[in-house]
Amino acid sequence: METRQKRRARLLGKWFCYGCVLVLGGVLQTTPGLLTIGNVKPVFILPVCLAVAVAEGAWAGAAFGAVGGLLWDLTAGRTAGLMAIGVLLLCFGAAILLELYLRANRTNFLLLAGVGCLAILSLDFLFNYLMRGYARPAERFLSVVLPTSVFTAAISPLAWWLILRAAARFASKE
Amino acid sequence: MKDFFSTVKFKLLAGLVVVLAGMMAYAGANGRLTAAPQELLGAVMLPFQRISAAMSGGVSQLVDKYTRIDAIMEENEALRQENAALRNQLVDYDRVRQENESFQSRYNIERDHPEYTYASGFVIGRDPLEQFFGFTIDKGTRDEVERGDIVVSDQGYLVGRVIEANLTSAKVLTILSPSLNAAGVVSRTRDNGILTGDSAYAPEGLCLFTNLSRDTLATVGDQIITTGLGGVFPPDILVGTIRELVPESSGKSTMAVVQPGVEIESLTHVFVITSYDGELLAGQESTPDAGSLPAPDASNGQE
Repeated sequence: METRQKRRARLLGKWFCYGCVLVLGGVLQTTPGLLTIGNVKPVFILPVCLAVAVAEGAWAGAAFGAVGGLLWDLTAGRTAGLMAIGVLLLCFGAAILLELYLRANRTNFLLLAGVGCLAILSLDFLFNYLMRGYARPAERFLSVVLPTSVFTAAISPLAWWLILRAAARFASKE
Repeated sequence: MKDFFSTVKFKLLAGLVVVLAGMMAYAGANGRLTAAPQELLGAVMLPFQRISAAMSGGVSQLVDKYTRIDAIMEENEALRQENAALRNQLVDYDRVRQENESFQSRYNIERDHPEYTYASGFVIGRDPLEQFFGFTIDKGTRDEVERGDIVVSDQGYLVGRVIEANLTSAKVLTILSPSLNAAGVVSRTRDNGILTGDSAYAPEGLCLFTNLSRDTLATVGDQIITTGLGGVFPPDILVGTIRELVPESSGKSTMAVVQPGVEIESLTHVFVITSYDGELLAGQESTPDAGSLPAPDASNGQE
């Protein structure tokens, strides 16, 4: 029988690990030149949030998504809250989707990360590029948004592995 | 479904969305990109970003070294031959010349503009979605960097302006962004124009110099510099060279495609001009075409 104190320590340790992975993702995402191919660089924060949502369920995942989105807003110098709401909703939806219709495995997560990233980046593209009337939107979409989504999907198994390792390390032994 | 909406968890989540939306509205209404909790988080993130940026640079150099081994060997051979030739030259002259070049590269702007006060900053953050290559530097209000300060490269070329300064970091809007406008002049012909960015040219690292008269004598290769009119941008800051002259869509004027003197997309170190003679005092308005700082809402990571 696990005592309340031990349970609290276990949960604290687990969420601390999640937080560390998120900060690591934020740092990697903004590090100049890291894993940059042409003008394309993967998004690290989103797969981490999605992996936590898959591991911890819709509600906790959504809250973690909001924190991750805020971190993204901060590091990108965007208006605070915009990306937070987007990632929150995406994590909530992704967790529900996996709970009801998909099996939680690496392939499904990879697809989910790719599609989720495409959705978030498309939204960002709509508000911050297309609606502002900048030139060559199709070129921008094809040369940056799509490749970034693919690149993000490609690195997403790393986030999945890290978060699952943390979840397994702090899982209840009963 | 009714049960779903009445759960405590749903209400908490809805409350979180409302708080985030409120933060966003507050930030927008107060002319700021970030809120106080984010600034605190930024201060916490700064050391990690610095370490990561330094490590990334080291790894890139190591990888670059081994992937270009053939080129490096060829270069080495060429340098050997050059070295043999140089032995015949006067040693003192060679030493002085090299020292001079090195000094000129590093301290160019201090020597040319002793009236400026600088803060040296390293690029510690770039967002993958930033299409105009804006970045974050590791200097903030603690180092007297303020919103509106001008950012230049090591060689003294104009890079952009600070659009937000936190305690330990600052975000820079580059000259490739359409949100940045600066009064400039063609150095040789003294033709006036407006320096700005364009989404069509930004991916290639180019910007525009607009409002040139149709019969301008400016040609490809001419230097563009700032005028200092309005007191927003210091005068005589180098911008770059004219790469191409094209008529504006109205047909009434010409615009020049400008190759900035520095590769903004790969910058790692910059100087922030924290003060200079003739700078506008706080609260003073600049002339509309002399240089404008975009509203924070329109000049965030996406401008």
